[in-house]
Amino acid sequence: MLHDAPQVLIALEQSAFAAAIRQSSWAYMTANVGHILALMVFVSAVVTMDARLLGAFAASPPATVVRPARRLAALGLLLMAGTGSMLFAAEATHVATNPVFQIKLVLIGLGILNALLAGRLLRDALEQTPAFTPLPTSARLAAVLSLLIWFATAACGRLIAYF
Amino acid sequence: MLKMLALVGLGLGLALPTAVIAHHGWGSYDAAHPITVTGPIETLKYENPHALITVKADDKVWTVTLAPTSRMQARGAPPEFVAVGKLVSAYGYASTVDKGEMRAERITIDGKTVELR
Repeated sequence: MLHDAPQVLIALEQSAFAAAIRQSSWAYMTANVGHILALMVFVSAVVTMDARLLGAFAASPPATVVRPARRLAALGLLLMAGTGSMLFAAEATHVATNPVFQIKLVLIGLGILNALLAGRLLRDALEQTPAFTPLPTSARLAAVLSLLIWFATAACGRLIAYF
Repeated sequence: MLKMLALVGLGLGLALPTAVIAHHGWGSYDAAHPITVTGPIETLKYENPHALITVKADDKVWTVTLAPTSRMQARGAPPEFVAVGKLVSAYGYASTVDKGEMRAERITIDGKTVELR
């Protein structure tokens, strides 16, 4: 597989950084564990945020739940990107040509796009909606999309090993 | 919101054709027909996520996928155990995609068998 992968991936896989991850007795393992721990932070924040958009925790004004949860989700995503890059670099040519990984990348793009668009389009509704008041349908749609996309992303992540 | 959905659809449409260059993972091994590959070790990569050796068997040179290095160490298979030149017997499953590759369930070297799963 190495020979028919794009040059940039071969270079990444053969870099000193990638070799160090493969040859260390703890680096790959640590990145792998860290990726899962970061996922726990990320998904707990995402589910909390989306649950509020869908009408849960109605006694709290939506902005008081969504804003901090969103920051926590961003932190989790950043940690996942860091640990994920280490895992990717170690086996760049194999992983990049894996169909499930390619789907996962697209899903991550869609998930971020959905979060950015929702953050922009729902800003006013979020600020102005008091407790015990349903948010607009668009907010609930964004939450459902978010849950679907991120759960599918996580499933793809685990499935990379099997395809 | 419609714009968002349109973008999502567009993204999926653009993305799926890229999925045609495929590689395989842990799922594509023929577990119904275990094989044993025997011969001298020609190369060793004692690396993560899985250590790899190439073995010069009678029919061809096999790439044999072993285990993560921490597990190899814990099971009594440090780099010296799988050193180049040693005679190995690897029991496991051939890849259904990569004809020269197999995943070893256990290896025997110098009369000592190490379980890798």
